[in-house]
Amino acid sequence: MTADINAPDIITLKIVSDPKNVSPLGEAINALCLYATNSEVYAHDIQLAVVEALNNVILHAYKSQKGNEIIVKWIQSTGCLNIEIIDYGISMTALPVAALPEIDAEGGRGWWIINACVDEYYYKAVEYVERERVCTPSSSDSDVFHNSLLKSSRNTLTLIKYFQQVA
Amino acid sequence: MILHEQQHNDIDIIELSGRFIMADTPEVRNRLNSLIKEGSGKLIIDLEKVTFIDSSACAVLISAFKNMQIKSGRLVLVTSPVVQSLIELTRLHTIFEIIPTLPRAIEALESNK
Repeated sequence: MTADINAPDIITLKIVSDPKNVSPLGEAINALCLYATNSEVYAHDIQLAVVEALNNVILHAYKSQKGNEIIVKWIQSTGCLNIEIIDYGISMTALPVAALPEIDAEGGRGWWIINACVDEYYYKAVEYVERERVCTPSSSDSDVFHNSLLKSSRNTLTLIKYFQQVA
Repeated sequence: MILHEQQHNDIDIIELSGRFIMADTPEVRNRLNSLIKEGSGKLIIDLEKVTFIDSSACAVLISAFKNMQIKSGRLVLVTSPVVQSLIELTRLHTIFEIIPTLPRAIEALESNK
């Protein structure tokens, strides 16, 4: 795990996609949130939401493939923490519904937990496409064609938690 | 995460401590599957020393619960506050038998209460 301090209230942590890296990153987030909020409850909740989000990235965006980049950006402002989880894997087309599955289902609780642990969240996917234009000497506007090919995407899940600092 | 196994008469006990998250699930799932397959049908999963747990760890507990049901056995959980909190958030307390301490869990399985 690497860390960059870009500004006084922004810290960027980077790992590669491997379940073993989730724990130290979760501990780091817990420590940062404890420092910011002075609340063990908030720190635990935010850590849990981040761990669930990282699990989702590893399992779904990167299909359990190890070695891909995950960036976690911790941004503090007055009474508010924004945590961005950024990946370059497969984008979601919509946010899953934060509902509990059948009681004995083994999966499907992650978004329920994230929804319970933070105040707001949103997801942004920026897609980078390759566009091809073929022109021939005899071409007119009507027979110029474009092929668009999705090359990569940058997906950001932003978790937001409001807090009043505990004395 | 540290995993420790012990037996008390015919009761299998698996004690987990530290953080129980996705990276730990293959090992714990394998150990639980073996214990349920080869054991007496009485199993305690002691999570009292677990300091952090996520939904993938809950999935392992649900798998153990279902395997124990197939065997017509009895699975008891001993939880820490952090584990209990996530189990209640995900409503899993409605399917798991949870007893607050290991001695009481052993007593319950011995007397089959």
